[in-house]
Amino acid sequence: MRQYLFLAIASACSTVAAQTPATNPMPDGSRDMYIGIGVQSIPRYDGASDNRTRPLPVLQVQWSNGIFVSGTSVGWHLSQSPSMEFGPMLVLSPRRDQDGVSFGVGSVSDGTGARMAHSSFRPDEFAVRESFDDNRLRYMDVVKRHVLAGGFFNYYLSPKLRLTNTLTYGSGRDHDGARLHTALQYMMEDVAPHHTVVLSAGVSVVDRAYNETWFGVTAEEAERAGAKGYYRPGAGVQDVRAGVRWNWALSPNWMLTSGATVNRLVGDAKDSPLVERATNYSVSTALAYRF
Amino acid sequence: MKTLTSLRTTLPAVCLAVVCCAVQAQEEWVSYRDAYKQMVVFAKYGKPKNFLQIHYEVSPRDPVATLEGLHLTLTGKNTQLNLPLDATGRAVFPLLKAAYDDNAVLALNRRMASYRFAPRVTILTRNDGIYESTDLRAACEQALAYQRFIDSSYGSKKCSGVRFVFGNRADALVQAKYGPREAPLPVVDGPAFDGETLGVYRTATYRFADWSAQGQVVSQNTPLAIAPLFE
Repeated sequence: MRQYLFLAIASACSTVAAQTPATNPMPDGSRDMYIGIGVQSIPRYDGASDNRTRPLPVLQVQWSNGIFVSGTSVGWHLSQSPSMEFGPMLVLSPRRDQDGVSFGVGSVSDGTGARMAHSSFRPDEFAVRESFDDNRLRYMDVVKRHVLAGGFFNYYLSPKLRLTNTLTYGSGRDHDGARLHTALQYMMEDVAPHHTVVLSAGVSVVDRAYNETWFGVTAEEAERAGAKGYYRPGAGVQDVRAGVRWNWALSPNWMLTSGATVNRLVGDAKDSPLVERATNYSVSTALAYRF
Repeated sequence: MKTLTSLRTTLPAVCLAVVCCAVQAQEEWVSYRDAYKQMVVFAKYGKPKNFLQIHYEVSPRDPVATLEGLHLTLTGKNTQLNLPLDATGRAVFPLLKAAYDDNAVLALNRRMASYRFAPRVTILTRNDGIYESTDLRAACEQALAYQRFIDSSYGSKKCSGVRFVFGNRADALVQAKYGPREAPLPVVDGPAFDGETLGVYRTATYRFADWSAQGQVVSQNTPLAIAPLFE
């Protein structure tokens, strides 16, 4: 019953939990599809100090049987209740190499500079950073693209207030990284005809394997970088984030979808020697056609 | 890099052009798909609803907006339907696969910003005008159960009564009966439905707490609507 539209973005910012479209009753055999293109400015990787501008493909399809594609995730709505949404999903986790996180869309900039410096596996012992390479991913192993398994559970506290939970498993070098993203979304449909604004705030909790993959430094990587030690972040809260999405239905078929997100790394992730800046932002806008 | 550079310059220009065209072409419409998603929930609702009906309601958002002369039309490639609005702004909503697949629109002949669009669940009227009190309570409970189904914030609310809505004061003759006790329900001017502030109708409210569960309510004329009341 929910009419709120969440155009999930096939973003190169890989660790953002995919948003699932709302329960979507429709005639048997029908579907609701958005396809579009736009631009986005996103961090080169989580914790990078620089943003890059990239093309933004937009894809969202919902079928009457409950199966949906939303950006880089595929899922299945199993709930029959309009105040609840849950089901399994698969999410494509992106590749990260020395150029940053990539889904193979657009180009990436080259990093230059000196070596990475970190000295201990304890986060609070990383005090010296002045000699860091200006590309901190230079000596890091490539994190390969993975398909993650998971599920989602969303609950409507009221028609305008939704609690979302997305759990994914399978990330990381050993395919055992888990991440739970929980967010509260407030949906405003009455701002003006054809305009919908969604405010959201959320937190991500990860296990050690996940954090080690994206924010850790192995002994081999440290050796390559000429650094003194490795870094093994533990499990815990990885980041907190706030965002706003604005959808403008220009016509029955055309929609302009724009968004902005600010996220701040916390805990062991924040203390990683890979992190240049704990607070990152991303903005995007895209034009989508509704089929 | 060349591709990216050209994208950076051309994409915003293309987007701007499309946006300008789209804005110029914008009309007063509501997406049929979006409305369908709201309305079909009632059709698929599996719990008791034999006392209930659902309409698509167009209600004024500001005092100057009126329902007089208002026309709602379903318009698509292969669909063209006039959806007549009753005196309370409600229309029977057709659930049509063809219109959904065409991405049809609900078009309004007025400025859309002045109106709200939403499903409205009301209690079915009877031709004989005689309503058993137990039926009205059951109808209100059905409506509340449905409301809780679509909006969990209604969990703490309770049924307090039903409101008979009329257009003319002369029609608003509603009597409550319980054994020898018989009294007309007071008629007041006000909005037709819970949660609305605009619109002036003649309303007679039957509060459950004021009457026995075994009585009757007799309406001399068929009301425009019978609305459940939750508190």
